[in-house]
Amino acid sequence: MPRWLRYGIVFGIATLVVVLMLSFRRDPHDIRTGTVGKPAAAFTADRIEGAGTLSLSDYAGKVVVLNFFASWCPPCKEENPALVRVWERYRTSDVAFIGIVYQDSTDKAREYVRANGVTWPTVQDGDGRISFAYGVFGPPETYFIGPDGIIAGRHIGPIDEATLITAIDSLRPRATR
Amino acid sequence: MTRERALILVALVAIFSAVAWTAWPREATAAERVDRITSELRCVTCQGLSVKDSPAASARQMHDLVVQRVAEGRSDDQIRDEFRASYGDWVLLSPPATSWSGLIWLVPLVALAAGLAVVFGRMRRATSTVTAPPARELAALRERVAREEALDLPQTDGAE
Repeated sequence: MPRWLRYGIVFGIATLVVVLMLSFRRDPHDIRTGTVGKPAAAFTADRIEGAGTLSLSDYAGKVVVLNFFASWCPPCKEENPALVRVWERYRTSDVAFIGIVYQDSTDKAREYVRANGVTWPTVQDGDGRISFAYGVFGPPETYFIGPDGIIAGRHIGPIDEATLITAIDSLRPRATR
Repeated sequence: MTRERALILVALVAIFSAVAWTAWPREATAAERVDRITSELRCVTCQGLSVKDSPAASARQMHDLVVQRVAEGRSDDQIRDEFRASYGDWVLLSPPATSWSGLIWLVPLVALAAGLAVVFGRMRRATSTVTAPPARELAALRERVAREEALDLPQTDGAE
């Protein structure tokens, strides 16, 4: 086997190992593909409680926590107490929470929010357009939108209180209080 | 021109006309475009299935969105780019050759080149192993053969 080929094989294997090691070090909850770092997609959707619609533009200048959930999703139920606690902590400030119903009926979603103490505004994404615009793979997923309208972060899977507070506080200094 | 030649000529013209007609670029219908685009897009909640092949609810919604975008007059690239903007190149079942992930297409070529290099290297080594021995070694061999022949000659002749 030629020397250059031997070196090539060793270099290839070493590169593969390095790439794999770097991949294993990444947090699987924080996949920075697609929409992170880009302007949050505008949307207007029907509220599941009461009449009328909600638009993301209504929250311009605020920190927005966008949470995709479904009543059929056990991890959503698992993360819900953390969301409720953090919502109670920030609800009178410059932080807005918006729930987005992911592939679920409005009736079941309404039942879910009432049973689980969700008091932040929640909208239906009946045709999946909001989910596609944000690059959602499946619930629960949480997006953090800065006051500048840029998606600053994304959390895949159930989120905890500490992660929520850290992400919100990192964006709040830039918000209009 | 004989009758057979005329028939062959007619047959060739028919064949070339059919091939040209088939290969001639034509405007795809909306349904064909939807089929093509959805077969290139990955279902985001499935394991390696295209939007076209998946029965999942999210795949149906993606399909509906593609239908709507085609009806709105968007090009195939614009529709693909809309999904790429959200999900990255991952959402395309075949990575585009123009992006970093397109380097994957070079892997078979690199593997082929490496295989050829190994084969040629071995062939060259095999050729080099049958080259003539050095002169001193050759002289010693010849001397040994001559000596052995001188010793064995009577017995060999007798055996035959």
